[in-house]
Amino acid sequence: MLHIRKFTLFFILAAVSSNTFAAVGCDLNDPDRDVVRLFPFSTGYKTRYLSIKTSGGEKQLARVEERLGDKFRGLYENIEVPYTLYDIFRGTETLGYIHGVNQKGEYGGIQVFLALDRRGAIKAFYIQKLTSRSAKELRSKEFGAQFAGLGLKDFENYSPLSGKSPEGSAVSGIKASPRAGKDFFSVMRAVKKNLILMNEFVFSKREK
Amino acid sequence: MNIYSVAYKNLLRKKTRAALTAGGIALSAWVLATLLGFNRGYENGLNRDIDNMGFQVLLTAKGCPYEAATLMLKGGTGLRYMPESVVKTVYLNPEVEKVTPMLMQGVFDPNKGENGAIAAYLGVDALTFPAMKGYLEFKQGGWFKDNNAYEAVMGFEAAELEQREVGDKLLIPGVDKELAVTGILKRSGTQDDGTIFLPIGAVQKIFGKQGKLTGLGIKVRKDADMAAFENKLYDLPDVQVVSMAQVKTTIMNLVNSARVIVLGIAVIAVIIAMAGVINTILMSVMERYAEIGILKSMGAMPLDIFKMIWAETAMLCSVGGAGGIFLSFLTARVSESAVRYFLPYAPNGALIALDWRICLFAFLLIVVGGLLSGVYPAWRAARVRPLEAIRIEGEQ
Repeated sequence: MLHIRKFTLFFILAAVSSNTFAAVGCDLNDPDRDVVRLFPFSTGYKTRYLSIKTSGGEKQLARVEERLGDKFRGLYENIEVPYTLYDIFRGTETLGYIHGVNQKGEYGGIQVFLALDRRGAIKAFYIQKLTSRSAKELRSKEFGAQFAGLGLKDFENYSPLSGKSPEGSAVSGIKASPRAGKDFFSVMRAVKKNLILMNEFVFSKREK
Repeated sequence: MNIYSVAYKNLLRKKTRAALTAGGIALSAWVLATLLGFNRGYENGLNRDIDNMGFQVLLTAKGCPYEAATLMLKGGTGLRYMPESVVKTVYLNPEVEKVTPMLMQGVFDPNKGENGAIAAYLGVDALTFPAMKGYLEFKQGGWFKDNNAYEAVMGFEAAELEQREVGDKLLIPGVDKELAVTGILKRSGTQDDGTIFLPIGAVQKIFGKQGKLTGLGIKVRKDADMAAFENKLYDLPDVQVVSMAQVKTTIMNLVNSARVIVLGIAVIAVIIAMAGVINTILMSVMERYAEIGILKSMGAMPLDIFKMIWAETAMLCSVGGAGGIFLSFLTARVSESAVRYFLPYAPNGALIALDWRICLFAFLLIVVGGLLSGVYPAWRAARVRPLEAIRIEGEQ
């Protein structure tokens, strides 16, 4: 199964233009293993490749930035970035989705994956790669557990620029030690961006 | 109506059969052109990779030569250390134009992936290394100037993965040292794209390897006797000499063994296609026995019949050959990716280098092969006796 998928993917990748890879994507390192870990009852998954450029273009980018409350910045955060979306199945039934984003951290790239149920609520939180002095804390189960059950509505009033959310909101309850500093805010921005993109790519289209 | 238009119309009478035969020829032309393109592309790529290294000889601490060669081409160096004093010793040789010392270090980063991974850093000399790697261009910033500065230059892909830009900080996990990014390289299509370059003095200090190197790149003068120079280097204690010429020969020997097998398969494919041509044309001759007899009774000479049948063969082979070559262009990227997937080492750049000479050669080979296959059916057709052919047709 893995070989068939790899073979198919390889042919697709080989056939498309190299321009597609002008920006770096965010894939699970070992999807066969990671999908089962994040969705223990899953029996299979399908991989989709999306980008804002192909999904909605400049209008969508403007909408995403507005919802995020921050602009896309730097060399690597742009309209062309390819996003990998994993549709998770149990038999023919869709269990949920796994989607990751790259985020610039203080000392290196951060890859934040969210496992979402069919309604868009976070089932599991996973930082695949992180270079930080607080990497151990931010990648811990305890830190990740704080995101369980939250969705885009909870993050709507979170500002990535100030790193603040309204008092008493579910997001304001997410804490990390002061040592985590900028990387904590980077992770929070990545989670909000991830949820917005999932809403743009999947949930809002399903509602229509 | 001339003989060629008759031949063309004859082919159209059995369209499926003609298309299948042309398809078989196209497949063999595709295999042939792709393989010839691979032969050229692989060697070109290997030469380019070696040229891009900037040096012709690499000195490492003693170890396995094949492993060292492979590691080197993949951007790594030796796994043991040699003293820094070797730089001076080597530089005393008149054959040497430039030398550049290197120190590769890796640290285990537990926060890369589920089980962690190795993060590698290549310490290079700020003065000599950039001069040897003249082909490297910067997307942002430039090389570090001080060999002891805590700075870094990142290859294109390494920078993308770490989302770094000039001015950003980079943390070496495990040793907890911060570096400032001074340059981001443009994509070069070489192993440098995934490399993080640090000043060599800083790497020695950070990892506690003062006075040690893992590699020494040597650029030899153009007029130097390479063999004699290599022999001198062999006399140095505890170092291993990896010559790029040796690396190339070793890799080409390995690839050649595989290439002979694949070329054998290509020859079989061509033979099968030629057998298909004989079968198709011969069948066509048999079916038109009486017709050929009538043509001869109307004054057609044996040479005319021979030319007509041969023209059919030539048309089939030309269409099939041209189609196969077109297909090889169309699928070059997929074939290239397949080769990369299965080969343990593949150089950067285009692996399947198709040019007009390769295409012309493959086309001519297919057409000549096809024409040779068509000799027997054409000869049989030319020998048809008109009365006998008409009588046999009448009896049927």
